[in-house]
Amino acid sequence: MRKVEVAVVGAGPAGLTVASEIANRGGKVLILDENAKPGGQLFKQLHKFFGSSRHLAKERGFKIAQSLVQQAQEAGVEIWFDAIVIGIFEDRVLGVVHKGKLQKLQADRIVLATGASEKALAFPGWTLPGVMGAGAAQTMMNIHGILPGKRILMVGSGNVGLIVSYQLLQAGAKVEAVVEAAPKVGGYQVHADKIRRIGVPIYLSYTVKEAFGDSRVEGAILIQLDENGRPIAGTEREIAVDTVCLAVGLSPMAELTWVAGCQFTYINDLGGQVPLHNEAMATTVPGIYVAGDVAGIGEASSAIEEGRLAGIAIAADLGYLPNSEAEHLKEQTRKELDALRQGPVGGRVGQAKRALLDAHATYIARQAGREVKERAEATWTGSAPEAPRARAEVPSAERRAQGPVAVIECYEEIPCDPCEEACHQGAIFVGEPITSLPHLKAERCNGCGLCIPACPGLAIFVIDESYSEDEATIMLPYEFLPLPHKGMTVKALDLQGQLVGEARVLEVRNPKAYDCTPVIKIAVSKELSMTVRHIALDEPKERSTV
Amino acid sequence: MRFAEHPILGTFPRGRKVTVLVDGQEVEAFEGEMIAFALHADGIKTLHWTAKRNEPRGIFCAIGHCTDCMMIVDGVPNVRACITPVREGMRIETQHGRGEWRKQNEKS
Repeated sequence: MRKVEVAVVGAGPAGLTVASEIANRGGKVLILDENAKPGGQLFKQLHKFFGSSRHLAKERGFKIAQSLVQQAQEAGVEIWFDAIVIGIFEDRVLGVVHKGKLQKLQADRIVLATGASEKALAFPGWTLPGVMGAGAAQTMMNIHGILPGKRILMVGSGNVGLIVSYQLLQAGAKVEAVVEAAPKVGGYQVHADKIRRIGVPIYLSYTVKEAFGDSRVEGAILIQLDENGRPIAGTEREIAVDTVCLAVGLSPMAELTWVAGCQFTYINDLGGQVPLHNEAMATTVPGIYVAGDVAGIGEASSAIEEGRLAGIAIAADLGYLPNSEAEHLKEQTRKELDALRQGPVGGRVGQAKRALLDAHATYIARQAGREVKERAEATWTGSAPEAPRARAEVPSAERRAQGPVAVIECYEEIPCDPCEEACHQGAIFVGEPITSLPHLKAERCNGCGLCIPACPGLAIFVIDESYSEDEATIMLPYEFLPLPHKGMTVKALDLQGQLVGEARVLEVRNPKAYDCTPVIKIAVSKELSMTVRHIALDEPKERSTV
Repeated sequence: MRFAEHPILGTFPRGRKVTVLVDGQEVEAFEGEMIAFALHADGIKTLHWTAKRNEPRGIFCAIGHCTDCMMIVDGVPNVRACITPVREGMRIETQHGRGEWRKQNEKS
């Protein structure tokens, strides 16, 4: 039986980071991954990530994946692909089917970084070919360049539903509707705005009643829900779609963690049953750690930070790192994690994660026979109260009349600050914590537009109402094909994707530094300067196919 | 449908063209593609018919977990088509029910 110092299951963002942290300090790490390539689900994330500009912000997910893979390789991490871990036994023995052959490994430490799987939603017709997970659609188009369908219904308006809808539009599909059972959009408003202004309707308090078709999806019936979530008879509407994507949440892929004998608790905001772990990501089984989505659904940036925490802890534990330094590094990493877990979405995860740590502490104390006050009840299913929506500041009419100025339509506390760094004039201030709303010092802004492609939420526009007697110019981000060209007349759309007039394309900026977020400058009639937020080409060319 | 250009990924990189046999019909695919996706691009959405009710199943999870995409590949039943890459000359069959093992030269 082969012995390894550290075995990591899963080569996604958490697993790769754990491995690099340990290997960089001299530890020997073997990653086991069932796929043919490393990177987990990061390679299909084509959008720019939120976050701190000191870290990964405004990098696109697949590029983050590339650099994590490179780091692990440079650190000397060994990776087995097509390696399915089928069991974890006493003394940290792993059963692995590697390229079809069963092997046994014995590890000093095991890190389970197995990620998550998509939840399903059952309704008549949900098994028809054409109904699939949103992540499945994302893999098909972003990894394989194959369009999942031409007309899509997206079920669920969390960040996955919104982002995948946007990516389906980028790939050339038409998203006919997004339905959301709750009375409000689940994900960030900036992600919702990106698809709304293209004209995708988001039906709130709606769900899919059934999908129908003869051996494949030909349409779906939507139905409205009352305040208790019950369908209201008579509100059905039929839409013609060939694909239904389910984006109704994720669950930790925790089978191996169960098999290893780790203790669990149920926390709704973390995706369901989650393994108890402490601040160093250690589970209740000695020598077994978790990191990333398996330890509670979050997002890739916090998976990376959790991987770092586990990596530092294990490196110290194995003697590759002095304890004092490890404590310092862990403290830093926890601060980064805390910064990511603020605001309306991250804040919920942060609160749920604290409940999980409490549950772990309670369990350990009980095991040790100590009295524990009932305060730290193991199961916590509540949601954090919603933060009041902060108002965005819009440059005054006087300022807009003076010349070009940025309008930042970012109204939610998102852990994100690249706009601040992008501005050479010092006109945008985010500060600490990075969930603060960006504040524009309009008198300093010269309307250069560098903040437009830097904003991962594509929520910044530059308005110039001094352009001419009756026209204003708008600079906006446009991540679609084909690109318009100078002199073209295009349709001007508002925030809801409604046609409000015509626009003339004055300029198309697309330097490499913009990282595939071209900025289009258009002229519109002056009264539309604060209305127009997107353009549509009059006769979209047929996309070329292979 | 395979798209050629993407606003973020640019010209989509594809592997070498290969030909696979799907229920006896030649289908073109590209190396690196998973069976289920290559078939989807060709308009084939039903990969498997269920054992009890004979209902069609297609791509659902695309991570090898749900087993909706099980097909008979080179005579081996219950192959997860969403995580198995195509290969030149591969014999792929729509699976009915639990599928059957086939001998090397047996016609489907």
